Amino acid sequence: MMEGRPCCLVLGLGNELAGDDAVGLLVAREVRHITDADVEVVESSASGLALIEIFAGYERAIVVDSILTGHDPPGTIREMGMDEVGRVVAPSVHQAGLPELAAVAERLGLTFPTCTRVFAVEVVDPFTLGAPLSAPVAAAIPELTHRVRDLLVCWALQEEPCTTTMR
Amino acid sequence: MSSQILIDPITRLEGHGRIHIFLNDGGDVDRAYLQIPELRGFERFAQGRRAEDMPQITSRICGVCPMAHHMAGTKALDDLYHVDPPPAAKKVRELVYDAFMVEDHALHFFYLGGPDFVVGPTAPKAERNILGVLGKVGLEVGKEVIGFRKEIRGLISEASGKVIHPVFGLPGGVSKPFTPELRDGFAAGAAHAVEFSRFALQIFRDVVLANPDYVELITSEAYTHRTYYMGLMDEQNRTNFYDGHLRVVDPDGKEFLSFDPKDYLDHVAEHVEPWSYLKFAYLKDIGWKGFTDGPDSGVFAVAPLARLNAADAMSTPLAQEAAEEMFATLGGKPVHHTLATHWARLVEMLNAAERMVELAADPEIASSEVRTIPTETPTVGIGVVEAPRGTLIHHYETDEQGLITQANLIVATQNNAARIALSVDKAAKALVHGPEVDEGLLNEVEMAFRAYDPCFGCATHSLPGEMPLIVEIKGPDGELVREIRRDG
Repeated sequence: MMEGRPCCLVLGLGNELAGDDAVGLLVAREVRHITDADVEVVESSASGLALIEIFAGYERAIVVDSILTGHDPPGTIREMGMDEVGRVVAPSVHQAGLPELAAVAERLGLTFPTCTRVFAVEVVDPFTLGAPLSAPVAAAIPELTHRVRDLLVCWALQEEPCTTTMR
Repeated sequence: MSSQILIDPITRLEGHGRIHIFLNDGGDVDRAYLQIPELRGFERFAQGRRAEDMPQITSRICGVCPMAHHMAGTKALDDLYHVDPPPAAKKVRELVYDAFMVEDHALHFFYLGGPDFVVGPTAPKAERNILGVLGKVGLEVGKEVIGFRKEIRGLISEASGKVIHPVFGLPGGVSKPFTPELRDGFAAGAAHAVEFSRFALQIFRDVVLANPDYVELITSEAYTHRTYYMGLMDEQNRTNFYDGHLRVVDPDGKEFLSFDPKDYLDHVAEHVEPWSYLKFAYLKDIGWKGFTDGPDSGVFAVAPLARLNAADAMSTPLAQEAAEEMFATLGGKPVHHTLATHWARLVEMLNAAERMVELAADPEIASSEVRTIPTETPTVGIGVVEAPRGTLIHHYETDEQGLITQANLIVATQNNAARIALSVDKAAKALVHGPEVDEGLLNEVEMAFRAYDPCFGCATHSLPGEMPLIVEIKGPDGELVREIRRDG
């Protein structure tokens, strides 16, 4: 850990103007109120390899984002470790998965979180500007906030061994 | 009934396009297209808001090019309030904007174009990514790319408040003048940017141009369309990313139109297709003749290659040399080969870097005169910039209090949409024969649109990871005969 620098990152991803897509940012804002100096809370609309600059320097990271699979009811929270987040083969520059980011960081000798959890919320409509959050997604925010906080507490107390989620 | 190949990402991802490939009874491609979900509802969203908030609000539409929206919005406010910013303010805006162009182009080349060209389009999938690029060009280059982007982003942050959501442009100027320290920082960053851009061009020469297969690929018919090209130009018809008039050249490279961006509605119209949310911009003066190229079709292109084609010259000397080399190598001007966009992007990066050097050395750049206070009643405002991905237009109309009554955005990907559709269709027809499509071939189809770096729907982030693609091939009776999963 770098001197005087938080070791944990909480990263909320999304577009705050686009309906349910704001959920990651809103959870980050809630978490910011309840965390201490050892946690950095960041909201971002960036993606892919541009995120490497956000992750670099932290030992642990929690990511909150929206997801649209159509397989789960809206508001469903999926929690994943790095090993469960699939590798990305996608058609645009902006796309790169966490494992790829970690691999690039490792090759370049950058510090990258060795322990990462992703909370993904199934959403209804992340495409309409100015739309309100859907009810099930809004209802998921308190639970998401608690789960992020609980994980941070676990990490602070070392109750959850990092090995379960190490890459 | 014809067969269909569908490449469908099943989870949300930025740029979550789908490629549909329909096969005819003979097994060849009947038609292929890219389907792009788009952010909806901008117009209604904007109505009733204060116009002066639009540069901040619109910069939040897109996580990839917030500065482009911020600047187009700011320029639309100049127009809306009938106010002309002082010269120093315009220079400060342009300098910061050029820094953004350099940074974005660098990201694209190394992370997106790199896998296709530095590693190679037919390289194994596992290598065709940024790691493969690093393997080929060396780790030191990777560190240089990251360090360089960090330096430039730091400068942009210092000048504009934030890179992601700039609080910088105001109607009639900018929020704060450049200090001498910031000017010196930009001067150093600009010099670095010139070196970095030349270095990137050298990599392109060494790795891409030295390989005859790549040059053959770039110039192959599958990736070629003879269309019109549009770009923002200065008074001498040289490239400018921040300001100027819009110029369109025809497929032979002759000037076809030259107009004030405020008159864009007289020249650009939008065609709608039932299968896409995205509207397809075309030249009104020619008309919509379907997805076809040539002088009789109103299909046009924007973005780096289009800008180089539309300009008489680059605005800076080293970039001009680099552009001449590109045109000489690829058979003269205009270049119609979509994949040359990657090369043009590097030429533009050098152009923006050199322009940064000029502006940072301008004696006026640290002047405190950076704001003309608006006094007139707002009416209609139209602002245009060249975003990294092409011409971006913001159009606002307000009531007397400056509340938005109507708003319209034409983003680069809309301007390019028809040509992108052409590209996907043509590449698929040339490359795909029958349902036995391997992953490498699909990549070559994707390359046809990846060169444009389309920013799908300005919906700009993704869950990091898990973005599988699925290819479904359906038989004549609609039954699934083959499925290719691309989830790594």
